[in-house]
Amino acid sequence: MKEYNIEVLKDAANRLLLDMSESEYQTLLSEFDIVTKQMKAIGDNSELDKIEPMVFPFEIYTSELREDEAKEPLTREEALRNSPRKVGGQIKLPKVVQ
Amino acid sequence: MYRGLSIEKLHELLVNKKVTPLELTKEAIELAKKDSNNAFEYIMESEALAIAESLKEPEVNNPLWGIPFVIKDNMSTKDVPTTGSSNILRGYVPVFDATVVAKLKEAHAVPIGKSTLDELAMGGTGTSGHLGTTYNPFDRSHTRLVGGSSCGSAAVTADGIVPFALGSDTGDSTRKPASYAGLVGFKPTWGRISRYGLFPFAPSLDTVGIFTRSVKDCAYVLNATAGRDEKDMTSSVVPVHDYVKDIEKFDKKRKIAVIQEILDTITDKDIKKAFLDNINKLKESGFTVEFVHMDTKMLASLFATYFVISCAEATSNNANLDGIKFGPLSKGDTYEEVMKNARTKGFGELIKRRFIIGSFALMKENKEELFVRAQRNRRAVVDKLNEIYKEYDFIYALAAPSIAPKIGESSDRLSDEYLIADNHLVLGNFAGLPSLTLPLGLKDNMPFGVNVMGKAFDEVGVFQLSYEIEKITGLKDLVAKGEQK
Repeated sequence: MKEYNIEVLKDAANRLLLDMSESEYQTLLSEFDIVTKQMKAIGDNSELDKIEPMVFPFEIYTSELREDEAKEPLTREEALRNSPRKVGGQIKLPKVVQ
Repeated sequence: MYRGLSIEKLHELLVNKKVTPLELTKEAIELAKKDSNNAFEYIMESEALAIAESLKEPEVNNPLWGIPFVIKDNMSTKDVPTTGSSNILRGYVPVFDATVVAKLKEAHAVPIGKSTLDELAMGGTGTSGHLGTTYNPFDRSHTRLVGGSSCGSAAVTADGIVPFALGSDTGDSTRKPASYAGLVGFKPTWGRISRYGLFPFAPSLDTVGIFTRSVKDCAYVLNATAGRDEKDMTSSVVPVHDYVKDIEKFDKKRKIAVIQEILDTITDKDIKKAFLDNINKLKESGFTVEFVHMDTKMLASLFATYFVISCAEATSNNANLDGIKFGPLSKGDTYEEVMKNARTKGFGELIKRRFIIGSFALMKENKEELFVRAQRNRRAVVDKLNEIYKEYDFIYALAAPSIAPKIGESSDRLSDEYLIADNHLVLGNFAGLPSLTLPLGLKDNMPFGVNVMGKAFDEVGVFQLSYEIEKITGLKDLVAKGEQK
């Protein structure tokens, strides 16, 4: 496991496109100490390597085909309704090419 | 006047035209406005009154007709603000109803409000939502938590404002607050109720939850909400039952297991004694209750396994909250800056920390050792549970090791009592099993509960056994005493 320190945690935060105050990173660091100790309970079990990871509690298969019926999608107004920045029927973003 | 009455009782009054949906709704809204537990995000006054007014002729065979209810604010409600108690969704107004909400509206139940929660349902205390702490109605001095994350729904049901409320449950977010607030709190089998429109937290664990004040009322709500939904590919095609019809017909040949090691970690002697007395009463009444064993180390690993899996899943599920498609306007010269500003300001500190833990667990160097290992452990735990279920039909346990904690009280997060007794309800989420908490007793005038967990899709059995336990405890229709402040 990668060693955790403030820089690593800041990198993890940056990958998520978010940031925190310095004191919050300190809180997080002490939280990591606890979580790492709690994780030890899992780490100690060497039998686990032979077990397949469980991704969902059980399989639910969706195999039927839907009828080929036309349905009303969201209207443009509905799709844009919650965006804080829009212009000309589209969501507006800062220029990508400067 | 109608405060604290059950669905069953209100239905009787409605059918006999002793009360109208409009009168019930008006009273519920008045009580909601006076709520002093910080339970509501939004009171749907005009929406609810319009629905109630349209309900004229009682539907004799529809127990939910005209019944007011509350929706946890992490479920989409068409044209009604839905924030998940997060500032990043301030002002967000969905354009569709979650399927579970749509089904209840089709059954002519009347939604009167959106309840607050731990931010985006991540948390178990009812303190991290953007409105702050939600209080336990059983303690009018506001010193105790009601628990989370479905804190608002638990508080409004315990306060008698509505006879039922929707919650959600990823680790124990419906069943733990139910224990603290004298309620029935139920999570169905994973896939039994559609999750379309429920904000995903950790989809491999998430279910919709139901709060009521009696077991039978809970079965009524499941009757109206269970079933396959083509909008949710993880909703199940397993046939739905009538969960009320045979609720009084528990087959005493069915066997109940109690995991000794969970009980052993509980230090509160009164609560433990109440549980053992209850087991004795069950045995005296002809039920088969036996103690079984689970490795303490495995039980102590439940919380870490849950934490890693849920944080990692949450990290990717909340990537869509970027302040661009919805959420308050944020500044920035590039789209990354816009997103980063929106997310930095929009998320509370607790969930940011959880996201970072999730991101750390998913880093290339850590994924196998943390995330995948937690998933492997999840299977090991579920395999062990399935072994128990080969011989037994139910697992019976205390839902929590204590009455509702005081605000600011902290527990030793490395103790077995915390890791096991306080977190074992997550077993139901790991294995996707139906699991119901109901009241067992009161200590210092605060309730505490037990939990019944059945086999996948055996909701009928879970309700039947819970109904029997409710008869033994005599604790149903509990409403917090004292007037709202």
